[in-house]
Amino acid sequence: MKHLDEDELVELYYGEGNSAADAHVKACRECSAQYARFKKSLDAIDSASVPGRSADYGDRVWETLRPQLIPYQKKTAGWRSWRHWRVAAMLVGCAMVLGIVFVSGRYWERITTKKTTLANNPQAGQRVVLVVLTDHLDRTERLLVQLEHANSMDKTDDAQMQSEARELLASNRLYRVTASNAGDPELAGALDRLEGVLAEIANDPNLNARDIERVRNDMNTKGMLFEIRVLRARSSDQKSRAGIAKGATI
Amino acid sequence: MLGSDHSIVRSVLAGDKEAYGVLVRAHSATVFRVAFRIAGDEADAEEIVQETFLRGYQRLESYEGRSSFGTWIYRIAVNCALNRISQPGIEAEYRHGEESDPEERTVQVAAQGADPERVLLSGEISAAQDVAMRRLTPTEKSAFVLRHLEDRSTNEIAVVLNIAPNAAKQAVFRAVQKLRRELAPLRGNA
Repeated sequence: MKHLDEDELVELYYGEGNSAADAHVKACRECSAQYARFKKSLDAIDSASVPGRSADYGDRVWETLRPQLIPYQKKTAGWRSWRHWRVAAMLVGCAMVLGIVFVSGRYWERITTKKTTLANNPQAGQRVVLVVLTDHLDRTERLLVQLEHANSMDKTDDAQMQSEARELLASNRLYRVTASNAGDPELAGALDRLEGVLAEIANDPNLNARDIERVRNDMNTKGMLFEIRVLRARSSDQKSRAGIAKGATI
Repeated sequence: MLGSDHSIVRSVLAGDKEAYGVLVRAHSATVFRVAFRIAGDEADAEEIVQETFLRGYQRLESYEGRSSFGTWIYRIAVNCALNRISQPGIEAEYRHGEESDPEERTVQVAAQGADPERVLLSGEISAAQDVAMRRLTPTEKSAFVLRHLEDRSTNEIAVVLNIAPNAAKQAVFRAVQKLRRELAPLRGNA
C-alpha cells in the first residue's frame, strides 16, 4: 500500500479513517512517524481559550432578550387565521382545477371517441353507406323488375317508371360517390353501371317500348337485377350482423 | 430533557413567553461556546447568543421536535455565527492576511513576538493560532471548529452548515492544511 496522504491522516486523526489506513500506520514506520507529527500539531490547537461564563449567564441573556419577545398567542392569531385562509384558498383552487380537468376530459373523450370510431374503423363508414342504400337498392330492384316486365302498350306505367328513374338517378350519384369514398369498389361499380341504365330511362324524352327493349338488351338489366339483389342481400346481412335497425339514417 | 424541552416549546407556542426563559437559561452557555469559537471574539459571541435565541423564538413554530431543542438551537447558533463572520467588513478583516505571501505571513506572526523566546510562551502560541484561524474562510473555520473543537461528525457538520457531507469533509481538510502550514514556523521554533 502506498503511504498515506494528508487527507487520509486527517480522517485517521478524527476517527473516520478506514481500517486499511489504520493498519498501514501501524505497519509503516515512515507513516507512523508522519502521523505522530501530524497528531502533535493538531493536538496543539486546543479549546482552552473560550472565556468562561458566570453561573447567572443564562439569566442575563434572558433578561436582555425578554422585552424583545411578543407572546405567541397574540402574534399567531392573525398568522394562523391567514394561514387557514391560504389553505382554504389553495383547496378551492385545487378543486376548481380538478373540476375543469374532469369536464374537459369528458368533453375531449366524446370528441375523440366520435372521431376515432369513424376514422379507425373502415367498416363503420361502409356500414353507414349500406344502411342508407337499403331503401335505394329496394327501389332500384323494383324499377329493374318493372323494366323487365314493362308493357309497351301502357304509357302511364312508362311515365311513372321514368319519374322513378329520375329520382333514383339523383340519389344514385350521391351513393356511388359515397361508396367510392368509403372504399367499396364493388358497390361503387354496381351503382355506376346502374346509373347508366337510370340515365337512359330518365333522360329519354319519348320513352317507348323500343327504347325499353334497347335498354334491356344493351345494358343487360337482367344481370344488373341479379347484381342489385346480391348487393341488397349483402347489405341486409351486414346490417343484421352490426345490429343496426332498418331505416336508420346517417 | 428532550420530552421536557418539547413540552416547554408547546407552552411557549401556547402563549407562555416566560417558558422560553427556561430554554434560554439551559442552552446559553453551549451557544456562547460555539459562537465564540467560530467568531473568535467575546463581544461578537454575546451578540450571536442574543440573535440566536431571538431567531429561535421567531421560528419556534418550525421546530418539529425531530431532534432535541439543544441540537436545533445549536444549528441556528452556528448559522448566526457563520453569517456574522461572512459579513463583508468582518470577512475582509479575516481574509486580510491571505493577500500577502506565505513568507510575509510568517514574518508577521514572528514579529508579534520580536523576542524568539517569547514565542514559546503559551499566550503567544494562542495568539498565533488565533491569527491562523482568522485566515480561514468562514466555512472552513466553522467546519474545523465543529470537527476539532466541538467533536461533531462529518455528517453533523454537513447538516448544521447545510452543505453536502463531502463538501464538509473537504472544508475540514483545507482548514487543517492551512492551519498546519501557518503554525509550522511556531512548531519549528518551539
